[in-house]
Amino acid sequence: MVNMKAANPEKGLANEKQKSIRMTNISAAKAVADTVRTSLGPRGMDKMIKDSKGEVMITNDGATIMKQMEVLHPTAKMLVELSKAQDIEAGDGTTSVVVIAGALLNSCTALLEKGIHPSQISDSFKIAGDHASKILEEMSVKLDLSDTTSLEKIASTSLASKVVSQHSQELAPIAVRAVMSIVSEGDENVDLKNIKVSKKLGGTVDDTELIDGLVFASNHASHAAGGPTRVENPKIALIQFCLSSPKTDMENNIIVQDYTGMDRILREERKYIVNLCKKIVDTGCNVLLIQKSVLRDAMNDLSLHYLAKHRVMVVRDIEREDVDFISRTLGITPIAHVDQFTSEKLGSAKLVEEETVGEGKIVRIKGCSNNSPQGKTASILVRGSNQLVLDEADRSLHDALCVIRSLVKKRALVPGGGAPEMEMSQKLLELSRTLTGAESICVRSFSEALEIVPYTLAENAGLNPINIVTELRNRHTNGDKHAGINVRRGGVSNMMEENVVQPLLVSLSALNLATELRSLILATECVRMILKIDDVVMVR
Amino acid sequence: MSVSILGSRESGQNIRDTNVRAVQAVANIVKSSLGPNGLDKMLVDEIGDVVISNDGATILRSLEVQHPAAKVLVELSRLQDQEVGDGTTSVVIVAAELLKRANDLVKYKIHPTTIIAGFRLAMKESIQYIKDYLSVKTESLGKDAILNVAKTSLNSKLIGAESDHFASMIVNCVEAVGVMGASKEMKYPIKSIKVLKCIGQSAKESVHLNGFALMTGRTAQGMPTSIKNARIACLDFNLNKFKLQMGAQVLVNDAKNLEKIRLRELEITKERIEKVLKAGANVIFATKAIDDFALKYFVEAGAIAVRRVDKKDIRKIAKQCGAEVLITLMNNEGEEVFNESSLGSAEEVSEERLGDNDFIFIKGMKHSSSQTLILRGANEFMLDEIERSVHDAICVVKRVLESKSVVVGGGAVETALSIYLDSFARTLGSKEQLAISEFAESLLVIPKTLAINAAQDACDLLAKLKMYHSASQNSSDEKKQEYKYVGLDLANGKVRNNLKAGVLEPTISKIKSLKFATEAAISILRIDDLIELAPKPEKERDGH
Repeated sequence: MVNMKAANPEKGLANEKQKSIRMTNISAAKAVADTVRTSLGPRGMDKMIKDSKGEVMITNDGATIMKQMEVLHPTAKMLVELSKAQDIEAGDGTTSVVVIAGALLNSCTALLEKGIHPSQISDSFKIAGDHASKILEEMSVKLDLSDTTSLEKIASTSLASKVVSQHSQELAPIAVRAVMSIVSEGDENVDLKNIKVSKKLGGTVDDTELIDGLVFASNHASHAAGGPTRVENPKIALIQFCLSSPKTDMENNIIVQDYTGMDRILREERKYIVNLCKKIVDTGCNVLLIQKSVLRDAMNDLSLHYLAKHRVMVVRDIEREDVDFISRTLGITPIAHVDQFTSEKLGSAKLVEEETVGEGKIVRIKGCSNNSPQGKTASILVRGSNQLVLDEADRSLHDALCVIRSLVKKRALVPGGGAPEMEMSQKLLELSRTLTGAESICVRSFSEALEIVPYTLAENAGLNPINIVTELRNRHTNGDKHAGINVRRGGVSNMMEENVVQPLLVSLSALNLATELRSLILATECVRMILKIDDVVMVR
Repeated sequence: MSVSILGSRESGQNIRDTNVRAVQAVANIVKSSLGPNGLDKMLVDEIGDVVISNDGATILRSLEVQHPAAKVLVELSRLQDQEVGDGTTSVVIVAAELLKRANDLVKYKIHPTTIIAGFRLAMKESIQYIKDYLSVKTESLGKDAILNVAKTSLNSKLIGAESDHFASMIVNCVEAVGVMGASKEMKYPIKSIKVLKCIGQSAKESVHLNGFALMTGRTAQGMPTSIKNARIACLDFNLNKFKLQMGAQVLVNDAKNLEKIRLRELEITKERIEKVLKAGANVIFATKAIDDFALKYFVEAGAIAVRRVDKKDIRKIAKQCGAEVLITLMNNEGEEVFNESSLGSAEEVSEERLGDNDFIFIKGMKHSSSQTLILRGANEFMLDEIERSVHDAICVVKRVLESKSVVVGGGAVETALSIYLDSFARTLGSKEQLAISEFAESLLVIPKTLAINAAQDACDLLAKLKMYHSASQNSSDEKKQEYKYVGLDLANGKVRNNLKAGVLEPTISKIKSLKFATEAAISILRIDDLIELAPKPEKERDGH
């Protein structure tokens, strides 16, 4: 009897513990989802984040918010990872993935209370998730990559929910043209590293432009010796060696014992530099890009003076990581030693020019004549009136680029505005009716959880969520697959048609099938993982 | 359950209220400095430096605001300063008022996004209205218009009393630097205007000088104070005793050699100087140092040498007098030479003394377009403030000369817009209507503040202003149309036709400030969450 008593409470305690752990996990994750919920959709609000260093950031991007927040709870961290994964996979839809995960977890709470075993919930969610993917695939519409107008509309849908939304008209075509310029027929993927996005403070976001050629936002032509700042039909070389007097090692010294030695050193130094520069000038090079050098000055006054005299434009401090991009764009090989400096290694373009923009200067290389497949690159110069706007414009543009990329990966579309979520929800509800047992209940809560997206969209847009969601549900039951929320007019309408007429106002972060699929799969995976945890052990 | 983070989080209505409060606090600081009767602020920083200013951007910059939303406002005034140069106070006041009213609307359960849409619409309408109805071309007003614009800008500053003197000086100055741009339009690069400060005498003694001036003296007393037909050399290298570079070591094993090496070190510099002087240079500007021992060569040659000239200045001098800035004397063969072609010329280079400072004046350069303003003032604070005021006025004059379009000041534009937007709002049947009428109401904060600052009856004056503008917009009578130029006469506490009174501002300044203020208000309104992370604790140091 005594033994029984001792054993039972202990077992009860263990069960109690597992349950409460699950609940805290779920509520911690839900809290994270609630944080970003208000920033979903074109009418979503922004977050202001002041980080531990006191830097302020205003953003609408789910992944950025989560990354900056530095949440403490381990399961909350998993949601942060989830949005990161979405950012890497699709680049957009980072908010919706977290919101869906939050809703799914919420429905788990109810299921757990009913006494359904966690692994059963998890398995049923898997079935529901798989089925949902199929539904999405079915309702998708094929897209032709040559249809730039649709692409632009998709990009602007992604941009519509950002801080820079009023500039989506300008940014969307830029994003599309940038990606399209580096894609060739039959490509299954796009390496976004081939698109260089440079930021320059000043001007407004409207001034953002796609550069025909190359742009250096942080380097400018050397003025010290009054060299040229504009060269037509330039011959460009990229060098990785230094044009300054050689430095001795730490241990070695040049010893001067006689005053004539001093003159000799001076003369030799000049001769050395002149010889280096002469070789460069002799090849006909008139624009010289010089890689940044840490150990030694990349240039000295003597070489600058000599090059300026021979009308060679000098751009110094090229970052090492940019060397690859530059040489591919211009079709040149970086030159590591002066002996290899030959005229074949020079690249050509139409014009190299230094421009004054705002308070700073940029160097532009126009009309690069490299058409080889690996030389396909694009450069975008982002402008913004202050650092906050500039950074956010950069982030938003990145999302737009990613959206176009995912279209290249999988060339199909789904409507936005909560339409796919509602459609999945409806179809899953039908599925649940064909099942029996706990599975049926689980699939059903899954389907209900998906309604969070249209619900939140309506709420964020200042509409009545109950009215909107029920109307939407009604339209979908009657077979109107593409019905979604029209945020501007405050009602329900056919998203596909609306998309054609007013693409800007269609909601949901991404119309892209791949994005939607992935976000769903990722969300489901993450929820299943959290469910299966039944104990947290703090190790110190 | 809320998210557990290291730090604090505020969201929803709370954060909107906090943001609005912070912004309001900032606006209240600068509010009393608006307009011709606005007062100045004295700012004392942590090391005890004093700044006295009336310029919104300067005040806010010195405040070191902590709150992130308030920082957006500081940024806003900086932006206005950068893009327009004037109107930095009014832009902050309008933005804060917009926010305050937007927040009230939110409390009436109107969604922020609706308000934002309304504000955007109102902004677009107002800009269109300014362009179509309120702006006046300067051609129709004559030369006085530009003078009046400068005066209007200066009137609100410390030197308001001497605005006539300064206005004509500034207008002459800006007009003189005008150049024909590439697109056949006149450009006024205000960088060509050099503003120098010199303590002493009164502000009225400030002078405008055609030519270039440097605020340094000649390097040695033995040099002449004035050289006619100057031949100018611009050197961008050191004229110190020659030193071998790092890594080269001088090892002396004979006492005789020691002296020789020392001598040689001096000689290398001397040879360089001789090369320059031999080419015929009699005025030498150097960006770096000139050693004391080297000065005697210049003195002997009867040349003026000036050391430590700013790099930007030396480039300007070189460009205008036709000289070449040399960073080394090396030629193509690696030998050191100085060519006569590198020299520039000017009619006269002279040193003059003003107050306690020496100035080098360069007059009659070949391609001279430079203008110099020498400001005088009783003390440092006053001089700084005069400089800021003059800068504002220069910017304003430049804007008007380039855009050739002005609007009437003294609250006229704001009242006209307010009346117009109010009737425009009534043509809309959606919730945006409320936002637009609040926008209209917010604009009135400018005439209201102007009247309050001038110790006049704001309600009375505002009512009169509104009456005139409403009459002008609702009538086709030509005489009543003129009423759209009615603004405040703050000295007499009346309303008058400000176009005739010559209270003018550049159109672009008004348009930009409206745009910036709306954008700033919107960006703060869009925030519904503030997450403040606690600063990371510094790592404990090991006890050794």
